[in-house]
Amino acid sequence: MKPTASAAAIAAAVGKGEVKARAVVEAALARIAKHNETLGAFTDITAQRALARADAVDLAIAGGGKAPPLAGVPFAAKNLYDIEGVVTRAGSKINRSNRPAGKDATLIQRLEFAGAILVGATNMDEYAYGFTGENAHDGPSRNPHDTERMTGGSSAGSAAATAAGLVPLSLGSDTNGSIRVPASFCGLFGLKPTYGRLSRARTYPFVASFDTLGPLARSTRDLALAYDAMQGFDDDDPAQTKRPMEPTDARLKHPIPGIRIAIAGGYFAGDAEVQAHVAHVTRALDAARVVTIPDAAAARAAAFLITMTEGAALHLERLRTRLDDFDPEVRDRLLAGAMLPAAWTGKAQKLRRDFREKVLALFADVDAILAPVTPMHAPHIGQKLAKLGGVEMALRPHLGVFTQPFSFIGLPVVTVPVWLPGATLPMGVQIIAAPWREDIALRIAHQLEQAGAVSAPVAKAFAI
Amino acid sequence: MSFKPFDAEALVAAAAEMLQLKIPAAQRDGVRSQLKTAAKMAALVEQVKLADDTEPAPVYRP
Repeated sequence: MKPTASAAAIAAAVGKGEVKARAVVEAALARIAKHNETLGAFTDITAQRALARADAVDLAIAGGGKAPPLAGVPFAAKNLYDIEGVVTRAGSKINRSNRPAGKDATLIQRLEFAGAILVGATNMDEYAYGFTGENAHDGPSRNPHDTERMTGGSSAGSAAATAAGLVPLSLGSDTNGSIRVPASFCGLFGLKPTYGRLSRARTYPFVASFDTLGPLARSTRDLALAYDAMQGFDDDDPAQTKRPMEPTDARLKHPIPGIRIAIAGGYFAGDAEVQAHVAHVTRALDAARVVTIPDAAAARAAAFLITMTEGAALHLERLRTRLDDFDPEVRDRLLAGAMLPAAWTGKAQKLRRDFREKVLALFADVDAILAPVTPMHAPHIGQKLAKLGGVEMALRPHLGVFTQPFSFIGLPVVTVPVWLPGATLPMGVQIIAAPWREDIALRIAHQLEQAGAVSAPVAKAFAI
Repeated sequence: MSFKPFDAEALVAAAAEMLQLKIPAAQRDGVRSQLKTAAKMAALVEQVKLADDTEPAPVYRP
């Protein structure tokens, strides 16, 4: 079995006893050791723990036990997830002064209960406040499709590790687009679940009222397997909504009769190259209807303001006492966030409720909405400016223009990777569904994948 | 509603004192720049007319 096999293929082979989980994990660790210096993907490698768990999986299967759905699948987690015995740095220098975590994050526990094996923690933008994947303390993560380019962030190392085939599956977090942007730049499938769907217990927060966690993978099947394994109510996350398990993997292949798919127009049109990627998907789905997302620019602006103020409130004491230990780019935004008039964020919170009502009304007539993920391909590392709509502007604040309006109101989104003919870089398209309908977004993504319209190959330079 | 350019330095100076933040002079440019971006965002939010009884969404529930 190739070390770059999918999670589903690994689990099937390990489950049947055709390959040992230890061999899979050893191969993953060897690839990490070989490529991590180039990619800047991992900040912590949990080799000893991983090998011990692999042996436990092998022992259980040899003993005749039923193989769990992710048996022997190596995975990585963004370094804001607690890992027992590891300091949760959340991309910062400051948090390295904290004690090691005493217990794993709930989602790590759940993946491991399903047989998956954590091999390490991944690089990220400091405190998840960034879309570039350039960490001031640990260095940038590098895009496996072109290592001179950004991975996108903030789930940067998770995307790099998955796109390079170091692991088939990784965990990220998405507050304003931090799963979707790196999935777009690195050519991956990503799932940002509905706000409140998956437990966030024992992960480091950013904007608590937006924060969600989810997986990145190279296939929709792997996304669904991971998502299913992570569902379920957890008393340790006060924001989680109590809902029954709603498994998606078994229904992935089932077409949705009469599905109504629309394209987000107006604000979401983007430049010509962005339009080409969305058009590629709309053609494959035979979708033609265009819907206008009302007040999208204002919604994105409101998300921007709430992010600044909630982020500043979280870090205010550290801004007083450890100012020089912040990444300067993050520091300036947090400082400014602490100074915003409350009337601005008060209005932003009202707009959020109003915008939610307007967008939910659209779902009375459509089942899913398509929109671009990013306004461009992966920029070069260190790039500060970009042309958008023919106007040169600061890059950093604009990478989330298409993702922020949807996470602002907690909608579930699956990102699919599009490779136009002859392209050397991918770009993602969002499939946005109504709250709690991750299943719809996943099934549409799977349909596109089966039709060959979207794909997430291991980056050529790292393929075997 | 349009916003006139505002005196970001005055805001930074006053707010830093109120919040007990010691911001070196060399770091103030970046903060001013972020405040100017935030002011543009606030102007976009202000343009949307909402009814007075619109409820805020401090804890979002889908």
